[in-house]
Amino acid sequence: MKILKWGFLSLITVISLFPFYVMIMMSTYYSEDIFKGIPLLPSNYFLSNLQTVLQTDFFRVYANSMIVSISAVLLGVSTSTFIGYAVAKFQFKMRKFLNYFIIITMMVPAQVGLIGYIIEMRNLGFGNTLLPVILTWSAWPFGAFFMIQFVRDTVPNEILECARIDGASEPGILFKIVMPLIKPGLSTLSMLVFLWSWNNYLLPLVTINNSKWFTLPLFVSTLGIVHRTDYGARMAALGLATIPLLLIFLLGSRTFIKGITAGAVKG
Amino acid sequence: METNTAAETPPGVGLHKRRKHLTVWPYIFALPFVGFYIAFQCYPLIYSLFLSLHDWNGIGSKAYVGLQNYVTLLTKDPLFYKSLFNTLVIMVMSVPMMILLGMVLAYLVFNLTKGRMLMQTANFLPYITTPVAIGFIFSFMFDWQTGIVNMLFLKLGWLQEGNYWLMDPWWSRVIIAMMIIWRNLGYFMAIYLAGMTAIPQDIYEAARMDGSTGPHTFRTITLPLLRNITVFLIVTSIIGGLQLFDEPKLLYGGWTASTSGGPDNAALTVIWKFVNDSFITGTRFGYGSAIAYTLFLIIVLFSIISYRLSAGKEEKA
Repeated sequence: MKILKWGFLSLITVISLFPFYVMIMMSTYYSEDIFKGIPLLPSNYFLSNLQTVLQTDFFRVYANSMIVSISAVLLGVSTSTFIGYAVAKFQFKMRKFLNYFIIITMMVPAQVGLIGYIIEMRNLGFGNTLLPVILTWSAWPFGAFFMIQFVRDTVPNEILECARIDGASEPGILFKIVMPLIKPGLSTLSMLVFLWSWNNYLLPLVTINNSKWFTLPLFVSTLGIVHRTDYGARMAALGLATIPLLLIFLLGSRTFIKGITAGAVKG
Repeated sequence: METNTAAETPPGVGLHKRRKHLTVWPYIFALPFVGFYIAFQCYPLIYSLFLSLHDWNGIGSKAYVGLQNYVTLLTKDPLFYKSLFNTLVIMVMSVPMMILLGMVLAYLVFNLTKGRMLMQTANFLPYITTPVAIGFIFSFMFDWQTGIVNMLFLKLGWLQEGNYWLMDPWWSRVIIAMMIIWRNLGYFMAIYLAGMTAIPQDIYEAARMDGSTGPHTFRTITLPLLRNITVFLIVTSIIGGLQLFDEPKLLYGGWTASTSGGPDNAALTVIWKFVNDSFITGTRFGYGSAIAYTLFLIIVLFSIISYRLSAGKEEKA
């Protein structure tokens, strides 16, 4: 029984990790050699593949992706935190309405308004910039929902009251008292926005036409089509594209998984 | 929450000033989100609805056609039904497997004494991978001439000659379902694990006192207590599954760039058709918006049905 259990667990884990392994191995091969056998052992072509990748616009694309993800995190997490704090800790007329509003908007799929969004972006003159890919995170219902729960559960009302009696300003309370208390929530949410904006494929695909503003998923999916399909180089590029996510995830996998599962288990 | 208003009004501390603060600030804090929402989500939604009643290619003038786009979509576009069928088939193939495997995996990992975090982390990795990578890796693995799967099957003698997996309509759907399962299994497992951790230990203690053992305890205690989580996972994966796009598009968009929609359009999902009609093969913005809104209605319908079904079960239980 125990052997069976471990066997099953190991099998699933191997299947989970196998494609990663193949990706890394393939990035060390000369493209045409990949297909001569199953690429299970590393070859010696990694540096040349890396060179091929770096000769392209890879740095600019990488920078584009970084700009998008970091701005999306800053924008999305701050608007979510502000409204989350307001709904969780203040008594005001619109509170109930805002609470329902956020839950309902969470259910509307992003693609429904996609065409309208693109036309709007064009009309605003953001057509060929990174802004459409960033601004889509500016009002992120899941983030707001998450923050309402998190602030409600972790910030004691007494602390806020004490600060008010001491004459602290409301923004001061938010930035100096609430923010430090909800750090774990902020980091979970930041990781989620980073992950999802980094991996986003559909929106850049339909909004960015100019290769100058390509993000990583778009860039990699068109890499090497011009001359010959260089699979080794593509795999190297994919590997490089996965590194930031891998780092973030391995550094904070505990908070990350906790955050991602929080909504499900409670709700 | 309820104590918020009453308890903390200390006598004599600038009551008037405090009140004013409490009434203005929450609106200021909520404003950025609400403002951005109206500007970049609400407006596009309404504008898309408006466009869905028009015939417009993005450049010329808009011609009002009423519900014509919807009528055309539902009566004269067999490809729409095909794409809906594909989407549903892929969903039916992937969702039960993810629920089942996710629960079994979580159960096994939950009972581990060591290596729990390692297992969870390793199996969660696919979930954070860029979909582009997943598309490439899978299309490479199942490639006709060079794929690992064919090579392996040939070596093991299971196949006489390489199978053209990606060119077979049903296999292409199965492979997409496998991509989805592979990517999301760790997420399902993590959610079930969190749910199992949330079950208070004394319930298990009591069950053990009563002589209940492993599988029996799982069936009578763990499973019913995980019901809400299962409902959540089913509902969200149906909503997400109806919006399937990345996996099929990237499976066929990468190195086999010539085929759009897969063999005989077997991999064409609703969102893929929506993207094709409105951005790639044409710029029929009105028609595209009509597809988007129709899909939205289907999603709402499915959410209500799956919610009703699960609520009904609860009454019986």
